[in-house]
Amino acid sequence: MPRFFKAAFLVAIVYLPIYFLSALVRPLESFFPWYEPLTNIFTAVFLIFLVAGTLFSGTVFQYLFAVARTLVLMLFFIYALNGGIITLAVPVQETTVNIFIDLRVILAMLVLVCLLGIAKNVVQAVDFVAGKAETKEI
Amino acid sequence: MRYAVRALGWATKILWILIIVFAGTSVYSAINVRMSFGEPQLFLSNELVVISIPLFINNTGFYDLSELNMTVDVMDYNGSLVLTSTTFVPLIPRGSSVETAHNVSMSLDDITSKAPNYLFNDTIIGVDMAVKLNFAHAVPLGVSMNKTIPWGAPLYNFSIGQISYGYYNLTHQRVIIPLSFENHSPYFGIDGTMEVEMYNSGYELLGSRTLSLNVPSHSRYEGEVELIVDVSKLTESGELHFYFETSTVSLGPVVMPYG
Repeated sequence: MPRFFKAAFLVAIVYLPIYFLSALVRPLESFFPWYEPLTNIFTAVFLIFLVAGTLFSGTVFQYLFAVARTLVLMLFFIYALNGGIITLAVPVQETTVNIFIDLRVILAMLVLVCLLGIAKNVVQAVDFVAGKAETKEI
Repeated sequence: MRYAVRALGWATKILWILIIVFAGTSVYSAINVRMSFGEPQLFLSNELVVISIPLFINNTGFYDLSELNMTVDVMDYNGSLVLTSTTFVPLIPRGSSVETAHNVSMSLDDITSKAPNYLFNDTIIGVDMAVKLNFAHAVPLGVSMNKTIPWGAPLYNFSIGQISYGYYNLTHQRVIIPLSFENHSPYFGIDGTMEVEMYNSGYELLGSRTLSLNVPSHSRYEGEVELIVDVSKLTESGELHFYFETSTVSLGPVVMPYG
Protein backbone atom coordinates (compact mmCIF):
# COMPACT_ATOMS: atom_id res chain seq x y z
CA MET A 1 0.00 0.00 0.00
CA PRO A 2 2.74 2.57 0.83
CA ARG A 3 4.15 1.89 -2.66
CA PHE A 4 0.90 3.07 -4.22
CA PHE A 5 1.06 6.30 -2.20
CA LYS A 6 4.70 6.76 -3.14
CA ALA A 7 3.85 6.17 -6.82
CA ALA A 8 0.94 8.63 -6.64
CA PHE A 9 3.14 11.19 -4.94
CA LEU A 10 5.88 10.78 -7.58
CA VAL A 11 3.33 11.05 -10.40
CA ALA A 12 2.06 14.31 -8.91
CA ILE A 13 5.61 15.64 -8.47
CA VAL A 14 6.60 14.74 -12.06
CA TYR A 15 3.34 15.85 -13.64
CA LEU A 16 3.28 19.34 -12.07
CA PRO A 17 6.28 20.82 -13.98
CA ILE A 18 5.04 19.20 -17.21
CA TYR A 19 1.61 20.75 -16.63
CA PHE A 20 3.08 24.20 -15.98
CA LEU A 21 5.39 23.94 -18.99
CA SER A 22 2.41 23.02 -21.18
CA ALA A 23 0.47 25.99 -19.79
CA LEU A 24 3.47 28.20 -20.59
CA VAL A 25 3.70 26.90 -24.15
CA ARG A 26 -0.09 26.98 -24.78
CA PRO A 27 -0.17 30.64 -25.99
CA LEU A 28 2.41 29.65 -28.60
CA GLU A 29 0.47 26.54 -29.59
CA SER A 30 -0.12 27.77 -33.13
CA PHE A 31 3.64 27.65 -33.72
CA PHE A 32 4.10 24.26 -32.02
CA PRO A 33 0.85 22.40 -32.78
CA TRP A 34 2.62 19.08 -32.32
CA TYR A 35 3.89 19.91 -28.83
CA GLU A 36 0.85 19.12 -26.67
CA PRO A 37 -0.22 15.75 -28.18
CA LEU A 38 3.42 14.66 -28.26
CA THR A 39 3.99 15.70 -24.66
CA ASN A 40 0.82 13.95 -23.53
CA ILE A 41 1.87 10.65 -25.11
CA PHE A 42 5.42 10.78 -23.76
CA THR A 43 4.20 11.92 -20.33
CA ALA A 44 1.76 9.01 -20.16
CA VAL A 45 4.44 6.47 -21.11
CA PHE A 46 6.94 8.07 -18.72
CA LEU A 47 4.44 7.99 -15.85
CA ILE A 48 3.53 4.34 -16.55
CA PHE A 49 7.20 3.37 -16.26
CA LEU A 50 7.55 5.54 -13.15
CA VAL A 51 4.58 3.86 -11.45
CA ALA A 52 5.76 0.40 -12.55
CA GLY A 53 9.28 1.13 -11.27
CA THR A 54 7.91 2.28 -7.92
CA LEU A 55 5.61 -0.73 -7.58
CA PHE A 56 8.49 -3.07 -8.39
CA SER A 57 10.97 -1.34 -6.09
CA GLY A 58 13.20 -3.75 -4.27
CA THR A 59 13.47 -5.93 -7.38
CA VAL A 60 15.70 -5.76 -10.44
CA PHE A 61 12.68 -4.57 -12.48
CA GLN A 62 12.87 -1.27 -10.64
CA TYR A 63 16.10 -0.53 -12.54
CA LEU A 64 14.81 -1.91 -15.84
CA PHE A 65 11.79 0.39 -15.67
CA ALA A 66 14.07 3.28 -14.75
CA VAL A 67 16.17 2.55 -17.88
CA ALA A 68 12.99 2.39 -19.99
CA ARG A 69 11.81 5.66 -18.44
CA THR A 70 15.08 7.40 -19.24
CA LEU A 71 15.00 6.03 -22.79
CA VAL A 72 11.51 7.46 -23.23
CA LEU A 73 12.74 10.81 -21.94
CA MET A 74 15.70 10.73 -24.35
CA LEU A 75 13.44 9.92 -27.29
CA PHE A 76 11.10 12.71 -26.24
CA PHE A 77 13.95 15.23 -26.29
CA ILE A 78 15.16 14.04 -29.69
CA TYR A 79 11.65 14.10 -31.12
CA ALA A 80 10.51 17.37 -29.51
CA LEU A 81 13.67 19.21 -30.55
CA ASN A 82 13.41 17.74 -34.06
CA GLY A 83 16.89 16.26 -33.87
CA GLY A 84 18.27 19.60 -32.67
CA ILE A 85 17.19 21.72 -35.64
CA ILE A 86 14.02 23.70 -35.06
CA THR A 87 12.44 25.67 -37.89
CA LEU A 88 9.37 27.81 -37.45
CA ALA A 89 7.35 29.84 -39.89
CA VAL A 90 5.67 32.72 -38.08
CA PRO A 91 3.16 34.78 -40.04
CA VAL A 92 3.69 38.47 -39.31
CA GLN A 93 1.25 40.83 -41.01
CA GLU A 94 1.42 39.92 -44.70
CA THR A 95 4.72 38.12 -44.66
CA THR A 96 6.18 34.98 -43.14
CA VAL A 97 9.17 35.13 -40.83
CA ASN A 98 11.21 31.94 -40.83
CA ILE A 99 13.06 31.18 -37.62
CA PHE A 100 15.81 28.61 -37.44
CA ILE A 101 17.43 27.45 -34.18
CA ASP A 102 20.22 24.91 -34.02
CA LEU A 103 19.89 23.27 -30.58
CA ARG A 104 22.18 20.32 -31.30
CA VAL A 105 24.57 21.27 -28.49
CA ILE A 106 21.70 21.40 -25.99
CA LEU A 107 20.28 18.15 -27.35
CA ALA A 108 23.69 16.51 -27.04
CA MET A 109 23.81 17.58 -23.38
CA LEU A 110 20.30 16.23 -22.77
CA VAL A 111 21.12 12.92 -24.47
CA LEU A 112 24.32 12.73 -22.44
CA VAL A 113 22.36 13.21 -19.21
CA CYS A 114 19.93 10.48 -20.26
CA LEU A 115 22.78 8.14 -21.18
CA LEU A 116 24.40 8.80 -17.80
CA GLY A 117 21.04 8.00 -16.17
CA ILE A 118 20.79 4.76 -18.14
CA ALA A 119 24.38 3.84 -17.24
CA LYS A 120 23.68 4.55 -13.59
CA ASN A 121 20.58 2.32 -13.60
CA VAL A 122 22.38 -0.47 -15.44
CA VAL A 123 25.24 -0.36 -12.92
CA GLN A 124 22.71 -0.32 -10.08
CA ALA A 125 20.93 -3.31 -11.62
CA VAL A 126 24.20 -5.23 -11.94
CA ASP A 127 25.08 -4.31 -8.34
CA PHE A 128 21.65 -5.41 -7.20
CA VAL A 129 21.87 -8.79 -8.98
CA ALA A 130 25.43 -9.29 -7.74
CA GLY A 131 24.31 -8.46 -4.20
CA LYS A 132 21.47 -10.99 -4.43
CA ALA A 133 23.83 -13.68 -5.76
CA GLU A 134 26.26 -13.00 -2.90
CA THR A 135 23.42 -13.24 -0.35
CA LYS A 136 22.34 -16.57 -1.83
CA GLU A 137 25.91 -17.96 -1.69
CA ILE A 138 26.24 -16.98 1.97
CA MET B 1 30.24 -0.43 -7.67
CA ARG B 2 28.66 1.91 -5.12
CA TYR B 3 31.19 4.62 -5.93
CA ALA B 4 30.51 4.30 -9.64
CA VAL B 5 26.76 4.62 -9.03
CA ARG B 6 27.34 7.61 -6.78
CA ALA B 7 29.65 9.29 -9.31
CA LEU B 8 27.15 8.73 -12.12
CA GLY B 9 24.36 10.06 -9.92
CA TRP B 10 26.29 13.23 -9.14
CA ALA B 11 27.31 13.71 -12.76
CA THR B 12 23.67 13.38 -13.83
CA LYS B 13 22.50 15.85 -11.20
CA ILE B 14 25.20 18.39 -12.04
CA LEU B 15 24.45 18.15 -15.77
CA TRP B 16 20.72 18.57 -15.15
CA ILE B 17 21.38 21.68 -13.06
CA LEU B 18 23.68 23.07 -15.76
CA ILE B 19 21.11 22.46 -18.50
CA ILE B 20 18.27 23.99 -16.51
CA VAL B 21 20.36 27.04 -15.54
CA PHE B 22 21.56 27.45 -19.13
CA ALA B 23 18.01 27.13 -20.51
CA GLY B 24 16.64 29.65 -18.01
CA THR B 25 19.42 32.20 -18.45
CA SER B 26 19.31 31.77 -22.25
CA VAL B 27 15.63 32.65 -22.39
CA TYR B 28 16.23 35.62 -20.08
CA SER B 29 19.21 36.76 -22.18
CA ALA B 30 17.38 36.37 -25.48
CA ILE B 31 14.54 38.53 -24.13
CA ASN B 32 17.06 41.19 -23.12
CA VAL B 33 18.72 41.58 -26.51
CA ARG B 34 17.56 44.76 -28.20
CA MET B 35 18.08 45.38 -31.89
CA SER B 36 16.97 48.55 -33.61
CA PHE B 37 17.50 50.43 -36.84
CA GLY B 38 18.16 54.15 -37.17
CA GLU B 39 17.22 56.65 -39.84
CA PRO B 40 18.73 55.66 -43.23
CA GLN B 41 21.31 58.06 -44.65
CA LEU B 42 22.42 58.52 -48.25
CA PHE B 43 26.07 58.98 -49.27
CA LEU B 44 27.70 59.45 -52.64
CA SER B 45 31.28 58.30 -53.08
CA ASN B 46 33.45 57.05 -55.96
CA GLU B 47 30.60 56.40 -58.37
CA LEU B 48 28.68 54.59 -55.65
CA VAL B 49 25.44 55.47 -53.96
CA VAL B 50 25.49 54.14 -50.42
CA ILE B 51 22.37 53.88 -48.29
CA SER B 52 23.55 53.49 -44.73
CA ILE B 53 21.10 52.11 -42.17
CA PRO B 54 22.39 52.50 -38.60
CA LEU B 55 22.10 49.29 -36.63
CA PHE B 56 22.12 49.28 -32.84
CA ILE B 57 22.40 46.09 -30.82
CA ASN B 58 22.27 46.11 -27.04
CA ASN B 59 23.16 42.80 -25.42
CA THR B 60 22.26 42.99 -21.74
CA GLY B 61 21.97 39.23 -21.40
CA PHE B 62 24.36 36.77 -19.80
CA TYR B 63 25.89 35.42 -22.99
CA ASP B 64 27.93 36.72 -25.92
CA LEU B 65 26.43 37.04 -29.35
CA SER B 66 28.87 36.19 -32.09
CA GLU B 67 29.09 36.02 -35.87
CA LEU B 68 26.12 38.26 -36.48
CA ASN B 69 25.51 38.23 -40.20
CA MET B 70 22.82 40.32 -41.79
CA THR B 71 22.09 39.99 -45.49
CA VAL B 72 19.59 41.86 -47.60
CA ASP B 73 18.95 40.84 -51.21
CA VAL B 74 16.75 42.89 -53.48
CA MET B 75 15.38 41.26 -56.61
CA ASP B 76 13.40 42.64 -59.47
CA TYR B 77 10.15 41.24 -60.91
CA ASN B 78 11.87 38.41 -62.81
CA GLY B 79 13.87 37.31 -59.77
CA SER B 80 17.25 38.59 -60.87
CA LEU B 81 19.36 40.10 -58.14
CA VAL B 82 19.35 43.88 -58.19
CA LEU B 83 21.55 44.38 -55.18
CA THR B 84 22.89 42.51 -52.19
CA SER B 85 24.38 43.78 -48.98
CA THR B 86 25.91 42.10 -45.97
CA THR B 87 26.90 43.27 -42.52
CA PHE B 88 29.06 41.13 -40.28
CA VAL B 89 29.67 41.76 -36.59
CA PRO B 90 32.16 39.25 -35.16
CA LEU B 91 31.28 39.66 -31.49
CA ILE B 92 28.83 41.45 -29.23
CA PRO B 93 30.05 40.70 -25.72
CA ARG B 94 27.53 40.30 -22.93
CA GLY B 95 26.54 43.49 -21.20
CA SER B 96 27.66 45.67 -24.08
CA SER B 97 26.16 47.40 -27.05
CA VAL B 98 27.36 47.71 -30.61
CA GLU B 99 26.61 50.43 -33.09
CA THR B 100 27.24 49.64 -36.69
CA ALA B 101 25.65 50.36 -40.03
CA HIS B 102 24.17 48.18 -42.69
CA ASN B 103 25.37 49.64 -45.97
CA VAL B 104 23.54 49.05 -49.20
CA SER B 105 25.58 50.25 -52.15
CA MET B 106 24.78 50.56 -55.83
CA SER B 107 26.96 51.83 -58.60
CA LEU B 108 25.81 54.97 -60.36
CA ASP B 109 26.06 53.13 -63.69
CA ASP B 110 23.59 50.52 -62.44
CA ILE B 111 21.20 53.18 -61.23
CA THR B 112 21.43 55.08 -64.51
CA SER B 113 20.78 51.96 -66.56
CA LYS B 114 17.94 50.64 -64.40
CA ALA B 115 16.32 53.90 -63.29
CA PRO B 116 14.18 54.48 -66.40
CA ASN B 117 12.56 51.08 -65.97
CA TYR B 118 11.61 51.85 -62.37
CA LEU B 119 10.56 55.43 -63.13
CA PHE B 120 8.18 54.55 -65.94
CA ASN B 121 6.92 51.01 -65.16
CA ASP B 122 5.12 49.54 -62.19
CA THR B 123 6.74 46.36 -60.99
CA ILE B 124 7.20 44.10 -58.00
CA ILE B 125 10.38 44.14 -55.96
CA GLY B 126 11.34 41.14 -53.87
CA VAL B 127 13.30 41.68 -50.66
CA ASP B 128 15.00 38.76 -48.90
CA MET B 129 16.36 39.55 -45.46
CA ALA B 130 18.29 37.15 -43.26
CA VAL B 131 19.90 37.62 -39.86
CA LYS B 132 22.08 34.85 -38.46
CA LEU B 133 24.01 34.79 -35.22
CA ASN B 134 25.58 32.48 -32.73
CA PHE B 135 24.10 32.65 -29.26
CA ALA B 136 26.45 31.90 -26.35
CA HIS B 137 28.91 30.37 -28.86
CA ALA B 138 26.70 27.28 -28.73
CA VAL B 139 23.34 27.93 -30.32
CA PRO B 140 23.33 29.18 -33.91
CA LEU B 141 20.06 30.77 -34.87
CA GLY B 142 18.67 32.69 -37.76
CA VAL B 143 15.67 34.69 -38.82
CA SER B 144 14.79 35.19 -42.45
CA MET B 145 11.91 36.71 -44.31
CA ASN B 146 11.03 37.49 -47.86
CA LYS B 147 8.66 40.16 -48.87
CA THR B 148 7.35 41.43 -52.15
CA ILE B 149 6.89 45.15 -52.39
CA PRO B 150 4.78 46.60 -55.16
CA TRP B 151 6.73 49.35 -56.86
CA GLY B 152 4.69 52.20 -58.23
CA ALA B 153 6.40 54.12 -61.02
CA PRO B 154 6.44 57.87 -60.35
CA LEU B 155 6.20 58.60 -64.10
CA TYR B 156 3.83 55.79 -65.05
CA ASN B 157 2.41 55.96 -68.57
CA PHE B 158 4.39 59.09 -69.43
CA SER B 159 3.14 60.04 -72.87
CA ILE B 160 2.69 62.91 -75.24
CA GLY B 161 -0.67 63.63 -76.84
CA GLN B 162 -1.51 65.03 -80.24
CA ILE B 163 0.83 67.96 -80.92
CA SER B 164 -0.98 71.04 -82.21
CA TYR B 165 0.52 73.89 -84.16
CA GLY B 166 -0.68 77.50 -84.17
CA TYR B 167 0.25 80.81 -85.76
CA TYR B 168 2.73 83.00 -83.85
CA ASN B 169 4.25 85.28 -86.50
CA LEU B 170 5.53 85.04 -90.05
CA THR B 171 8.77 83.28 -89.10
CA HIS B 172 7.74 81.33 -86.01
CA GLN B 173 5.00 78.94 -85.02
CA ARG B 174 3.48 78.03 -81.70
CA VAL B 175 3.77 74.31 -80.87
CA ILE B 176 1.63 72.89 -78.05
CA ILE B 177 2.65 69.49 -76.67
CA PRO B 178 0.16 67.81 -74.31
CA LEU B 179 1.83 65.69 -71.64
CA SER B 180 0.45 63.27 -69.13
CA PHE B 181 1.59 60.72 -66.60
CA GLU B 182 0.49 59.17 -63.30
CA ASN B 183 2.55 59.18 -60.16
CA HIS B 184 1.94 55.65 -58.84
CA SER B 185 4.65 55.89 -56.23
CA PRO B 186 3.35 55.54 -52.68
CA TYR B 187 6.70 56.75 -51.33
CA PHE B 188 7.37 60.14 -52.88
CA GLY B 189 5.80 62.90 -54.88
CA ILE B 190 7.48 64.58 -57.82
CA ASP B 191 8.56 68.06 -56.89
CA GLY B 192 11.04 69.59 -59.31
CA THR B 193 11.45 70.64 -62.89
CA MET B 194 11.04 69.09 -66.33
CA GLU B 195 12.88 70.50 -69.32
CA VAL B 196 11.49 69.76 -72.78
CA GLU B 197 13.63 70.06 -75.91
CA MET B 198 12.20 69.70 -79.39
CA TYR B 199 14.38 68.47 -82.25
CA ASN B 200 13.53 68.17 -85.90
CA SER B 201 14.33 65.17 -88.11
CA GLY B 202 17.84 66.58 -88.68
CA TYR B 203 18.48 66.69 -84.87
CA GLU B 204 18.43 70.50 -84.85
CA LEU B 205 17.15 72.03 -81.64
CA LEU B 206 13.90 73.85 -82.39
CA GLY B 207 13.13 75.09 -78.93
CA SER B 208 13.10 74.22 -75.24
CA ARG B 209 11.20 75.07 -72.11
CA THR B 210 11.46 74.21 -68.43
CA LEU B 211 8.35 73.51 -66.41
CA SER B 212 7.99 73.11 -62.71
CA LEU B 213 6.30 69.91 -61.57
CA ASN B 214 4.47 69.20 -58.37
CA VAL B 215 2.72 65.87 -58.58
CA PRO B 216 1.88 64.23 -55.23
CA SER B 217 1.76 60.46 -54.75
CA HIS B 218 -1.11 58.64 -56.42
CA SER B 219 -2.11 61.57 -58.58
CA ARG B 220 -2.27 62.25 -62.29
CA TYR B 221 -0.49 65.01 -64.16
CA GLU B 222 -1.90 66.52 -67.33
CA GLY B 223 -0.29 69.58 -68.80
CA GLU B 224 0.87 71.30 -71.92
CA VAL B 225 4.20 72.67 -73.05
CA GLU B 226 4.19 75.58 -75.39
CA LEU B 227 7.21 76.15 -77.60
CA ILE B 228 7.86 78.86 -80.16
CA VAL B 229 9.79 77.32 -83.04
CA ASP B 230 11.30 78.48 -86.30
CA VAL B 231 8.92 77.54 -89.12
CA SER B 232 11.76 76.99 -91.58
CA LYS B 233 13.30 74.29 -89.36
CA LEU B 234 10.09 72.53 -88.44
CA THR B 235 9.71 69.04 -89.85
CA GLU B 236 6.82 66.57 -89.73
CA SER B 237 8.70 64.22 -87.43
CA GLY B 238 11.47 64.48 -84.90
CA GLU B 239 12.24 63.87 -81.27
CA LEU B 240 11.29 65.32 -77.94
CA HIS B 241 13.87 65.12 -75.16
CA PHE B 242 12.76 65.34 -71.56
CA TYR B 243 15.02 66.06 -68.58
CA PHE B 244 13.71 65.60 -65.03
CA GLU B 245 15.32 67.24 -62.05
CA THR B 246 14.10 66.67 -58.49
CA SER B 247 15.85 66.77 -55.16
CA THR B 248 16.49 63.02 -55.37
CA VAL B 249 16.57 62.15 -59.07
CA SER B 250 18.17 63.67 -62.17
CA LEU B 251 17.08 61.87 -65.27
CA GLY B 252 17.40 62.54 -68.91
CA PRO B 253 17.21 62.68 -71.73
CA VAL B 254 14.07 60.60 -72.08
CA VAL B 255 13.60 60.51 -75.84
CA MET B 256 10.17 60.30 -77.44
CA PRO B 257 9.56 60.55 -81.17
CA TYR B 258 6.77 62.65 -82.58
CA GLY B 259 5.09 62.85 -85.98
